[in-house]
Amino acid sequence: MMNTWKSKVCVWTLAFGSASAAVAQLPDQATLLHPGADSWPTYHGDYTGQRHSKLTQITPKNVGSLTLAWAFQTRSQMELKSSPLLVDGILYFSVPDSVFAVDARSGHLVWHYTYPPNKGSHIGQRGVAAYKGSIYFLSPDCHLVALDAKTGKERWRVEIGDVAKGYWTSMAPLVVGNHVMVGVSGDFDNLRGYMKSFDAETGKEQWTWYSTPADRTGGMTWMTGTYDPDLNLVYWGTGNPTPVLTAVTRPGDGANTCSIVALNPDTGQLAWSFSVSPHDTHDWDATEVPVLIDGPFQGQQKKMLIQASRNGYFVVLDRTNGKSLLTTPYSPVNWSLGLDKDGRPIPNPAKDPAPDGRLIAPDEGGATNFRSPSFDPKTGLLIVPAREAYSIYFSKPADGTYGWSGADYGVWEKGVLKAIDYRTGKIRWEHETGVSTTSGILTTDSGITFTGDFHDNALALNTADGKTLWHANTGAMISTSPTTYELDGRQYVLTGSGGVLFAWTLPEGTK
Amino acid sequence: MRRVMLLCGGLAVAAAAAWIGESVSSPRAEVHAAQAAPAATPEMLAKIAEGSSQFQQKCSFCHGRDAGGGETGPDLTRSKLVLEDVNGNKIGEVVRTGRAGKMPPFDLSSAEMDAIAAFIHAQQAKAKAEGGRRGVNVEDLQTGNVAEGKAYFEGAGTCAKCHSATGDLAHIATKYQGLQLEQHMLYPRDAKSKATVTLPSGQVVSGTVQLHDEFFLGIVLADGTYRSWPVDKIKYTIDAPHEAHAKLFPHYTDADIHNLMAYLQTLR
Repeated sequence: MMNTWKSKVCVWTLAFGSASAAVAQLPDQATLLHPGADSWPTYHGDYTGQRHSKLTQITPKNVGSLTLAWAFQTRSQMELKSSPLLVDGILYFSVPDSVFAVDARSGHLVWHYTYPPNKGSHIGQRGVAAYKGSIYFLSPDCHLVALDAKTGKERWRVEIGDVAKGYWTSMAPLVVGNHVMVGVSGDFDNLRGYMKSFDAETGKEQWTWYSTPADRTGGMTWMTGTYDPDLNLVYWGTGNPTPVLTAVTRPGDGANTCSIVALNPDTGQLAWSFSVSPHDTHDWDATEVPVLIDGPFQGQQKKMLIQASRNGYFVVLDRTNGKSLLTTPYSPVNWSLGLDKDGRPIPNPAKDPAPDGRLIAPDEGGATNFRSPSFDPKTGLLIVPAREAYSIYFSKPADGTYGWSGADYGVWEKGVLKAIDYRTGKIRWEHETGVSTTSGILTTDSGITFTGDFHDNALALNTADGKTLWHANTGAMISTSPTTYELDGRQYVLTGSGGVLFAWTLPEGTK
Repeated sequence: MRRVMLLCGGLAVAAAAAWIGESVSSPRAEVHAAQAAPAATPEMLAKIAEGSSQFQQKCSFCHGRDAGGGETGPDLTRSKLVLEDVNGNKIGEVVRTGRAGKMPPFDLSSAEMDAIAAFIHAQQAKAKAEGGRRGVNVEDLQTGNVAEGKAYFEGAGTCAKCHSATGDLAHIATKYQGLQLEQHMLYPRDAKSKATVTLPSGQVVSGTVQLHDEFFLGIVLADGTYRSWPVDKIKYTIDAPHEAHAKLFPHYTDADIHNLMAYLQTLR
């Protein structure tokens, strides 16, 4: 007990330079804007979505001696897909129906919250959000639950969607100031996608933004977005229109579906929208992380948004206005006729799902999916857990116009990490991972890329060339995106594998 | 969002499943059931309801809410395995062991497995009663031209380099039909790679590859023994002729595929 108290004081002192700050409840907005080395206060680690850490204790030279600090068993059959938050020395992470608070130094369980049995899809839970002493969790059956970060006791619970209609939730909320922003999931029904914002203190609803007009459906908001405090815009990816594999009832581009949208977090007003897959008929959500980077682009300093999208295209946008700077494939793509004047792929009608089948690349799982990429500012590389894949897509009138409305069958796939130079879209290096990719990516300032392969190996690669520096077999599929933090002068790297969270660190005294 | 799951179970009898399914799901089928079938017991309805709940939580993402196929997972209502399943004897095995690279194993209680299987069988019966729906029928895959398929097989497709219509592919259309045949044709997922390993001692061994990552090679020898080595301690070659299929993907037109299908379907 005493040790815990002492170490807390130590963290407060580091964060604020004064132990008296310990009365404040973390994380506050200042922490979310500028997270320290001893914190990982949002799903992506910070608002940019770069999933890049400034930590340098673990280097390409010493990473070979990386060893286990501790392992935490959730005892869940469900895979960890969550990115653990680190706030004030405690890690907060989730699987569907469960939230865990675990000591980041020792792996000791501080508390475990369980949500009652329910009918929502339990396909995955990406994690929680934190703000001023509360932990925010989304249940499979579409409830936003606020927990006391100290005890795991429920503070309030509000319904954000109707599970009986076919909505569920799987994402980690995003907190900006007093706004807790959430998105919804759902693919089997013709439903409107939306985002909502709730008061962090009371749970009172602040606004709702619908992806589609009242007479259209789709555009689910599956994944956690990013935020630019200067522009005061939140960036979010939206999912496919419905019905999924046929567009007979939904002619046109399907505005704001398979798109990257920019919203004002105070009002929910749409600032701009860019369609990555106009008129989608292949289930290619554009919900992959909209990564925010600043830097030169063709000689000019730009505020950019980059995304490796599920449809096989890498896009660079000017995030002040949503205009395209670059669109180019990063993985085999055979469904497009090229780009339109706005830099959007033009779908080839001959590659729409058909009664006798169409061979399509990528497959439905996409050239990448929910797993996080990472941007390394030093090299200008976006490292993407990518797949090269082909499948056959079918749809016929008898399949109707509700929900899936067709079927697709994967025929072949290969996992390939791809390092994309944001300035050109060119692939700098590739690293094969087996039959598929399962893990997200973390890069660090020392030039290391942490990830995993299809064979359950946790991997450390050299960011410059993709060569393997370290590995450890974890014994189960790695479905998480790694995170890192430093406590008591030691850097830790977390990888979830199956239902187990592994914390890696260097042996004491390693140089 | 890629892994799948099936279910398991053990409903009473397939025949019983048929009317249970009709009675729980579709209004149209319900009328039919009321006229022709014995009343569902409250116990069976409760079991299907519980199975539905379990299915929505654990299976629906991949197999669809109605078991008719979803994101990456096959349509279970048309599954041969489900059709042949009695008391969960087939589905249970898949659920407990999973499918490598496709579906994780699930450790369910026998009551949960029973309930989920009851739900799947009910959905299968319902789908049968309702007629037109998702899925690929053999009739759908008859748009190709046999002569052009044969020409492609022997020419541009380069199929004849490895295959022979009277040799390894003789009667292939008897063994596989419809979508199954097309999937095998595009890429034989079950094909195994062979490895030949030269050990530091100079001894040469060969077998079927079971593990091959950046760090290890593991093979099964002809007598069933498993052996593995760090890849940097051995010299080895891997023979995977089926990978030639993947090289064709960027070159196929959809017409090539349909024509090839038409030709292969003549090899009975």
